[in-house]
Amino acid sequence: MANQALARLENALRERKLDRTLTTALPSWEPRDHSAAIATDMAALDACLRGGLPRGQLSEIVGPASSGRTTLVLQTIAASTRRGEIAALVDTFDRLDVASAATAGIDLEGLLWVRGSSISSGSASGGPDAAMNRALKAVNLVLQAGGFGCVVLDLADVPPVALRRIPFTTWLRVQRVIEGSDTACVLVAPHPLARSAGGLTLLLAGRVRWTGEADRSRHLTGADIGIRIVSPRRRVEGDVSVAAITNDSHYNEPRRHGGHGAV
Amino acid sequence: MFADIYAAHDSSFETLLSVARDFSPRIETCGPCEVVLDLAGLTRLFGDAKTIADELRRTAADRGLRVRIAIAGTRTAARLLVRDRAGITIVEPGDEAAAVAVLPLALLARMSNVNVPNVSNDPNDLLTTLRCWGLRTFGDLAALPADELAARLGQTGVAWQRLARGEDPVPLVPSVPEERFEQALDLEWPIEGLEPLSFVLARLMEPLSAHLERRDRGAAVLHVRLHLVKRDGVTREVHERSLQLPAPMRDARTLRTLALLDLESHPPSAAIDRVVVAVDPTPGRVVQFSLLTRPLPSPEQVSTLMARLTALMGEGRCGSAITVDSWEPGAFEMKPFLGSIANSGRIPNPESRTPRLAIRRFRFPIPARVRVDLGIPVRVTSDRRGISGGKVETYAGPWRTSGGWWAEDTKKYWERDEWDVTLSDGSTYRVFRERDTDAWFIEGVVD
Repeated sequence: MANQALARLENALRERKLDRTLTTALPSWEPRDHSAAIATDMAALDACLRGGLPRGQLSEIVGPASSGRTTLVLQTIAASTRRGEIAALVDTFDRLDVASAATAGIDLEGLLWVRGSSISSGSASGGPDAAMNRALKAVNLVLQAGGFGCVVLDLADVPPVALRRIPFTTWLRVQRVIEGSDTACVLVAPHPLARSAGGLTLLLAGRVRWTGEADRSRHLTGADIGIRIVSPRRRVEGDVSVAAITNDSHYNEPRRHGGHGAV
Repeated sequence: MFADIYAAHDSSFETLLSVARDFSPRIETCGPCEVVLDLAGLTRLFGDAKTIADELRRTAADRGLRVRIAIAGTRTAARLLVRDRAGITIVEPGDEAAAVAVLPLALLARMSNVNVPNVSNDPNDLLTTLRCWGLRTFGDLAALPADELAARLGQTGVAWQRLARGEDPVPLVPSVPEERFEQALDLEWPIEGLEPLSFVLARLMEPLSAHLERRDRGAAVLHVRLHLVKRDGVTREVHERSLQLPAPMRDARTLRTLALLDLESHPPSAAIDRVVVAVDPTPGRVVQFSLLTRPLPSPEQVSTLMARLTALMGEGRCGSAITVDSWEPGAFEMKPFLGSIANSGRIPNPESRTPRLAIRRFRFPIPARVRVDLGIPVRVTSDRRGISGGKVETYAGPWRTSGGWWAEDTKKYWERDEWDVTLSDGSTYRVFRERDTDAWFIEGVVD
């Protein structure tokens, strides 16, 4: 009997149907209303995500440097605060640029910013592992307090070696804390870490846009962010491209701060 | 019925108050030498009004006070009569108007500045007017038709007439003695560490919280005073911490947690043999919840969360950011996170928005090695782990900025050339060259 079951299992694996069997056994994710997901206020992405990132689930935004992770995260937080929710950003290495956050439209009063130690100062006590552990504890405290619409854990700068040392049960614990709540937890990392069954994984690949042929007139105008959506439930998959533009006061035109301009 | 005790001007007000409080908890102070008592229920303890008055006078005399006492059905009548008559005056309820009718009108001018709402006219002007009308006593004023008086003198005239009839304009407002919200515990043996202290704090916070709840007060500031005893058993010192609470709160568990988290960051240096917990009271918080707005965490929850995060991350590492009016790159300030949002409950605007490209800033710029050819960066490398560096594929710049040269603090001065560069590995950085040192730095990653 056991041998027959084992044979069936091996057959299913051989035919690559096991994965499909398991995922279709999960209840389908069909948000009935907008309150089941946290919209990013980017029409193309929200349409592809069927409303946005799911609440009560752990989602991931992953990609290499300059792929648009921070842009997308700030945009999601801004959309959350615009709806009157409060949000939290656990910034493991203190990398948030407040001007960028304000430009993205975040109501800074509604954003709890938990700043880790800056490793660039060499003051990170205990190195990246200690900073990461503190960030994980902080995100746990924030999630347990409840009441936040969106909680972001930024692990984008943590070395891969340190990321590999995070026990997988950490993400299961985070998932258990937010299950059934209105909080959407978002993890920012260089590669997928949590792979939550109910959450989404957004794989980003971005390319900046330049304008101007001549050296003197060239400037950064924005970026094209390609987003590949991966969901274990196979219902919300697809590719979408989002165009980001630069903030005028920072990138375009002669820079006015300080008052000198291009030289 | 009400009793008015009027003491001589050189009397001690504290003594007068103590005499009054010995008889009734409902007293109202009416100046530095006058107290009004509500006598409701005292007849069963002391007897009739005459007995109460005699007892009051005897008690005051025992404490060295010379007093006049008037007892009447209204406070106004008692206060008027005590000014006019020495000794003890007693008026039966219902006879107030008749009793005060014979009093001279000049007495009204001395009375009109208290307990008469919406009276702004100068009493002497009004008194002159009444005298011109031929009025001399309270009875004359009380007999005038109220509507005619209101037509000529307005609300002030009506208020004066009510006084002249011995009626109270407002109910008695009892003076509440100043309460101290403080609990203390002397320990038989000194304790060390926060774990045993948490039990002591719980024992102190619960009665304190109950006291606050009884008085409908919340704690605005929490003071924890720990009396320490050094190992030699002789040297003593006091370790004091004060916590400014973001909202009035009185939950015992929250207060204990906040106190403990603060003491974790600022632990006492020796064993504790006495613990004192006190709060600065403030009126309780009245919250009207709504079905239409999003439920936000309560101030208690936010305070506890912030205290826990501060204990974990360090002082000043958690809160809300504020942009500042400065062109200094990366300038910002922090303020406490309150857990509320200005547009809470606003109907969301569903319009799609174009995202703005963000930068991931290094709080302290990373020193970089930049090879320059004809004034243009062609290769950027850094010793910082995670920044691979490489050949510059595309660049824009330089943008020269400067500022802070007017400040006395030279650290605030900056003058630099900024570049945006895309390296061969595909990442885009903002780098800058400090013009005075000719050193290159990486300011952030465009992400």
